[in-house]
Amino acid sequence: MDEEKKLNGRKNMVFSIISIVILCILLFPLYWALITSLKTEQEIFQNPPTFYPHILNLKSYAAQVETGDFNMFRSFGNSFVISIGATVIAVLLAVPASYGIAKYHFKGRKLMLLSFLVTQMLPVSVLLTPMFIMFKNMHVYNTWIAAVLADATIGIPFSVLILKNYFASIPKDLEEAAYLDGCNKFTAFLRILIPIAKPGVIVCAIFSFLYAWGDLAYGMTFILDQERRPITAGIFNFMGQYGTKWSYLTAFAVVTIIPVALIFIFMQKYIVSGMTSGAVKG
Amino acid sequence: MFCAAALFSIMPAVKYAAGGWYKVAHGACYTLKGEAFMKKIKKMFRYENVGMLFVLPAFVYMLVFVGYPIIRNIILSFQDVNAGNLVRGTKNFILFDNYLELFQDDVFRTSLFNTLRYTVMCLVFQFVIGFILALFFSKRFTLAKPVRGILLVPWMIPVTVTALMFKLLFATDIGVINYILRSLHLTGKNIEWLTTPGTAMFALVCANIWIGIPFNMILISTGLTTIPKELYESASIDGANRIQTFFSITLPLLKPTIESVLILGFIYTFKVYDLVYVMTSGGPVNSTHMLSTYSYKLSFEMFKYSKGSAVANVLLVILMIVGIFYIKATTAGEEE
Repeated sequence: MDEEKKLNGRKNMVFSIISIVILCILLFPLYWALITSLKTEQEIFQNPPTFYPHILNLKSYAAQVETGDFNMFRSFGNSFVISIGATVIAVLLAVPASYGIAKYHFKGRKLMLLSFLVTQMLPVSVLLTPMFIMFKNMHVYNTWIAAVLADATIGIPFSVLILKNYFASIPKDLEEAAYLDGCNKFTAFLRILIPIAKPGVIVCAIFSFLYAWGDLAYGMTFILDQERRPITAGIFNFMGQYGTKWSYLTAFAVVTIIPVALIFIFMQKYIVSGMTSGAVKG
Repeated sequence: MFCAAALFSIMPAVKYAAGGWYKVAHGACYTLKGEAFMKKIKKMFRYENVGMLFVLPAFVYMLVFVGYPIIRNIILSFQDVNAGNLVRGTKNFILFDNYLELFQDDVFRTSLFNTLRYTVMCLVFQFVIGFILALFFSKRFTLAKPVRGILLVPWMIPVTVTALMFKLLFATDIGVINYILRSLHLTGKNIEWLTTPGTAMFALVCANIWIGIPFNMILISTGLTTIPKELYESASIDGANRIQTFFSITLPLLKPTIESVLILGFIYTFKVYDLVYVMTSGGPVNSTHMLSTYSYKLSFEMFKYSKGSAVANVLLVILMIVGIFYIKATTAGEEE
């Protein structure tokens, strides 16, 4: 790849300009949501539409701080707690599991691997009703716990399948050297292998978080009270009640995107690795 | 009180009996097949099987929160469960009645057809656009890598937000899409995208393609980097033009990537839920219901849990059939 010639001056320019145009077209929906959240209601309904806010209006954000039924910052907090909870469960369970699958050839290994693969393909619809009954019986219905437990089921199989490749790529000699230094299997795993597989662990944590953050079905079905629902369910509720209050709705959307944007800005390299290794290698 | 007292008086006897059994069992192991037993124990803790201990917690978790629900869902679909007897009460088995009723149900047939139509349309466009973008960004210009990176953002955004953004774009009065069409004189009056049956589906497909493009692009990009450059060099020495090179080198060598992109794309698109639920909720007049949204509606809006489960199972069966291809494709290259 690296030996391939870089494009020269003029061609480079043309391609770069085309790429900017593509970028603008594809990210336009995001831009539009952002500027709509900063416009006044009056300006939103103006015809022809304005392509940047002529009067900067921060009321849509400020109004949310002053409580009200749809406090987006509370929903944001709920989402945060739920997503962190799901991420912690997913990482704690998936790290040892992927190590076991990558490094040992025990009976039933293939079956377990296959079952993780299959759960990745499951539609939420299959799990919703039975989980609903289960959480009611466990008395966790209408709490964060229900959403955390459900969201972790998305992160675990994904993380196992990704991390398995990371662990498999660590040479056996390294592990054996650790045994010579007096480690047993568990301490070698904790002190030698996990630190080496750290980038993989980060990828898993990021994706488990993103999956939980984006979840709507579980949060909406297993949590009834708006005060405990995640922000995605908050947006959905809000749309039903104030269908055309676009400045508020888009402000909600922008706040929801903030953590995603931060993850993207600071951890971009992990995202590419997660998207590709998870999908292609299974 | 009496019961408790009785229990206490029996306790020593129970203990004794249990102890007796324990001794008998213990003795049997060591006298009759003691050696075989020890071997078995040793075998259980053989090096390789220790690995199972690492996997077990995650596996058990998935068994409880995914495996059990799947089975429960299948059982549910053969029963008659509604709001009255969901948590408690007797659940009558009505076997295949739910499924038979479904196939007479117009909305179910529409949603099955919709899901297929929607999936195929999304797949075609997101794959072609993703492919073109991947080829474009495989050229080495200054902005190639950073711009391609930023293009991944649509894939990461919560689908609920995407749905909201496209609802805004396709809005009747203030939507930018209507504005553009009006400016180009393609339409005289505003189109009611989301409240007209045919156009609502179009809006959904557009939103889904937007989410799918980055996924297709990045996977194909990665696939492209695995093709050895020497092949292209020798092709150009042989005098092949770009189109010939594309069809005789790029496409055949990308086959495994293309397979997994399409199969995964099918699975992800076919089980679509959030996007449709937020944008149209299956409306107008049930014209955009997918299997997943119809299942949700039956279960959680009409409280016909069993029927909802039956719809979900139809969805599951179709996904599993496609999934078999995926598993075959991904495990083909595995070690062992």
